[in-house]
Amino acid sequence: MRVYQVPQHAFLLLVGGALLAAAPHLLLGPPWLRILLPLLLLARVLIQRGRLAMPGRMVRVVLLAGVVLGTLYTHGTVLGPEAGTCLLIAAFGLKTLEMFRLRDAYVLLVLGYFVLATTFLFYQSPLAALYVFVVMVLLTASLVGINRPETGARSRTHLRLASVMLLQALPLMVLLFVLVPRIAPLWALEFQSEGARTGMSDSMAPGEVSRLTESTELAFRVEFEGAVPSPAERYWRGMTYSLFDGRRWSQASPGGLPRPDLVIFPGQGTAPWHEQLQAQHAAMADTDAAPVYRYRVVQEASRRPWLYTLAVPFVRGPARGIGQVRDFRLVKEGDIEQRFAYSVESYPLLTAAVGLPDWERDFNLALPELGNPRSRQLAQRLFDAEGGDVEAYALRVLAHFRQEPFYYTLEPPLLGGNTVDEFLFDTRRGFCEHYASAFAFMMRAAGVPARIVAGYQGGELNPVGNHLRVHQYHAHAWAEIWIDGQGWVEFDPTGAVAPERIERGMDRFLGREMGALQNLLSGAAFSRNPLLARLRNSIDYLQFSWQKWVLGYDESSQMAFLERWLKDVSPLRIGLVLLIGTVAILLPVALWVLLRRRGPPRSPLQREYRALRKQLLRSNIAVSEGLPPRAVSETVARACPAAADAIRAWVSQYEQAAYAEHADAQALQRLRRLRRALRWRLRRSALSG
Amino acid sequence: MQKLHDALERVGKVVLGKDEQIRLAVACMLARGHLLIEDLPGMGKTTLAHALSRIFSLDYQRVQFTSDMLPADILGVSVFDPDSRRFELRKGPVFTQLLLADEINRATPKTQSALLEAMEERQVTQDGESRPLPQPFFVVATQNPLDQGGTFPLPESQLDRFLMRISLGYPAPEAEMSLLRAGDLRERALDMSPALTVAELMALMAEVEQVHASEDLLDYLQRLLEHSRGCGWFTAGLSPRAGLGVLRAARAWALLDKRKYVIPEDIQAVLKPVCEHRLQSASGGTAGGAASRLLEAVPVVR
Repeated sequence: MRVYQVPQHAFLLLVGGALLAAAPHLLLGPPWLRILLPLLLLARVLIQRGRLAMPGRMVRVVLLAGVVLGTLYTHGTVLGPEAGTCLLIAAFGLKTLEMFRLRDAYVLLVLGYFVLATTFLFYQSPLAALYVFVVMVLLTASLVGINRPETGARSRTHLRLASVMLLQALPLMVLLFVLVPRIAPLWALEFQSEGARTGMSDSMAPGEVSRLTESTELAFRVEFEGAVPSPAERYWRGMTYSLFDGRRWSQASPGGLPRPDLVIFPGQGTAPWHEQLQAQHAAMADTDAAPVYRYRVVQEASRRPWLYTLAVPFVRGPARGIGQVRDFRLVKEGDIEQRFAYSVESYPLLTAAVGLPDWERDFNLALPELGNPRSRQLAQRLFDAEGGDVEAYALRVLAHFRQEPFYYTLEPPLLGGNTVDEFLFDTRRGFCEHYASAFAFMMRAAGVPARIVAGYQGGELNPVGNHLRVHQYHAHAWAEIWIDGQGWVEFDPTGAVAPERIERGMDRFLGREMGALQNLLSGAAFSRNPLLARLRNSIDYLQFSWQKWVLGYDESSQMAFLERWLKDVSPLRIGLVLLIGTVAILLPVALWVLLRRRGPPRSPLQREYRALRKQLLRSNIAVSEGLPPRAVSETVARACPAAADAIRAWVSQYEQAAYAEHADAQALQRLRRLRRALRWRLRRSALSG
Repeated sequence: MQKLHDALERVGKVVLGKDEQIRLAVACMLARGHLLIEDLPGMGKTTLAHALSRIFSLDYQRVQFTSDMLPADILGVSVFDPDSRRFELRKGPVFTQLLLADEINRATPKTQSALLEAMEERQVTQDGESRPLPQPFFVVATQNPLDQGGTFPLPESQLDRFLMRISLGYPAPEAEMSLLRAGDLRERALDMSPALTVAELMALMAEVEQVHASEDLLDYLQRLLEHSRGCGWFTAGLSPRAGLGVLRAARAWALLDKRKYVIPEDIQAVLKPVCEHRLQSASGGTAGGAASRLLEAVPVVR
């Protein structure tokens, strides 16, 4: 059997396309794959050049087993997205060693498209989309190439044809993207966790938040409808920590409480505190005077359920899977594994009406029995000095931070056993968590319910898109205390020590504190050069828009969009619009194809010549269109000696008919007969060979 | 016909290993075209011209072109004869059947154009009197492609006067071995006995015009010409004159193959020598490989 030869003009496109389709995965995948795939492609190149024979069945089976074992070794499984694509790519590489027929080349290319599509499992940026498009042009060009096996064809014409085809398909793609209903995936893809992600955790010990400031990763972006709050108002609440063990603050609640007392998901009943909040929300929404922030947060994957919001948040629109928590926060049902967007409106409500039941009061007063004696004494003394006025006492403690020599620093000294005592009286150098922790401790020591709030403070305003960017280094911790008649009131002791951190933002502060390298990473260096700053902002805006409009175009936003345009969204309507849109796009193309200038029609003799060429193509004999008849017959005779006489007879008959002076009337029939004889010869030699 | 093939064979014994070029040169003569040989000195250009003149029993003149040459040096000059009291033309070397114009690009444009006009009109006009050149009339011009110092390269319009441009190139190793064994072959070229009479040659030339070119073949040629104009590879496509030249040369080639009709192979065989000196690559420089690109791009059968 003759082994299929990829035409030379398509081969480079095929190998290049295969390599580039797999390249993004090679960056992520295991090292052995990074070496294996190029080696397999190199082997294929050598086979094409005739330097290497096709590997035998044994070799291929061993390679396949090795690939499966390698995947098991790396990922522990062959299922799941990472292991699956790893196996897919390795198998894709192996398939190149199995191209015995034209059919195998088709399989390889279809696999190539599939490999390319899996890129989106791991990369979703606009750049990735552009990359996929370019590689798709390459793959399509090689598909064009293997369908035109003549030797004279050129790679460049394949590329041009492929680009034109894909560009023609673009409007159709947009139409399908917008209209075809989103269907929930048939199976959930569970990514293997890539170790701990940076971000807030559900507990906090001294030194942990300051470590976050080393990360320049994006936490979330926020787009405001209307005014953007001033920097000092940008307190993004994520969690509250109520349990203190002497060193670590943790998020916890007393055991045995019914769930509705803490968090309410839509459609899961209600509780008095929740009704209270909703009533207040309704009242506030009616009066236009209330200061309100309406915004949409697009949060990066955090592998945690916490959502970040201002003041007292309420979800806008359908709140599927978002719950309201008793301490005025929102949480998602299940962790945020992918970028997640939610719309919120926030009111600065008085929260006294929600009430402070005994269990909550006790829980937010609890301190370890022992430890930090000096702080407890100080708390008692200051509280007594203010005559037991809670608000005055809290201000007095802040004044203490301000008046005594306290310093705000990214590199606080390590603390021993009595963390609060050591910080308050000895080191006096700390980051936000030290101040928040000490403040909350002092409150509780004096009998004032207090807890820590953790989240982000600030955010960098992108003037291009008028949205905020909040990075991990904006992480912050502060405190809130219960004041009878007012409810929970926030106090930020960091603001007392380092007001510029709050008012001018972490970016400026970091710019002063950090070394040159971190400076560069955080983008602080960019903000000094106006041109670079604008460029950076524009790129950020592009990414944000991409996330909002393309990645964020999910089921609910699709419904909203379609309802606006179609009024009544029914399958029939969507189908109709799809049909009309498709016709509107394809009609001009069809007209152009039908009406474009063509040469004179082909004569029967010319059609007969076409038929012969098709015949040869089916038998896998590539003949350039520029080859004259006699050269064609020699090519065929070389490729298939059994058919040599048949093709020579046909060609000499054709030559007589087409070029000699006195063509006879029977020539066409004779040619057809000769062609049938040739077909029979070609088939027999294909079967026996 | 048989005599023609004997002639080809005998020329092949003098110009060794260049059967293809000899065939092309003969086809060029049969098609009533002039030949430009572009090659380095010492490659056998003169030997080929000699051999051709001897074998077809043609008068032969050789002119070595130099930059101080005047048109009269080629065409001839009128001299006053005191005895008859009349001007008499002393015929120049152009009055011959085969003219070897060596290093044609060394002459000034004025001299070049005098020759080229004679080539086109097949007559010489002097002092208001036209004199026809002998029949048949061939010019074999040579030029050196490398040594361009002090030369006047032929403009495209004049290159167009030559039906074909060929180059001989270095001989193959075996041919060179037998050449070295045999010594200088130019002497032998001069001693060659004629194979065809002039009348027989003229008859063959008339026969060339009778070779049949079918509609399908003309269609192929037309698409080749059209492609050369539309593809954008060249500054200008092939002219209709070039197309006629290809057809004439292809007819002669078919006749050399003892066929009464032209097939696409004939077109393909003569396309390179007939067309490449008429084309200029759009990216500048000469259009090397232009013919093979054209042949690859245009389907033989629509």
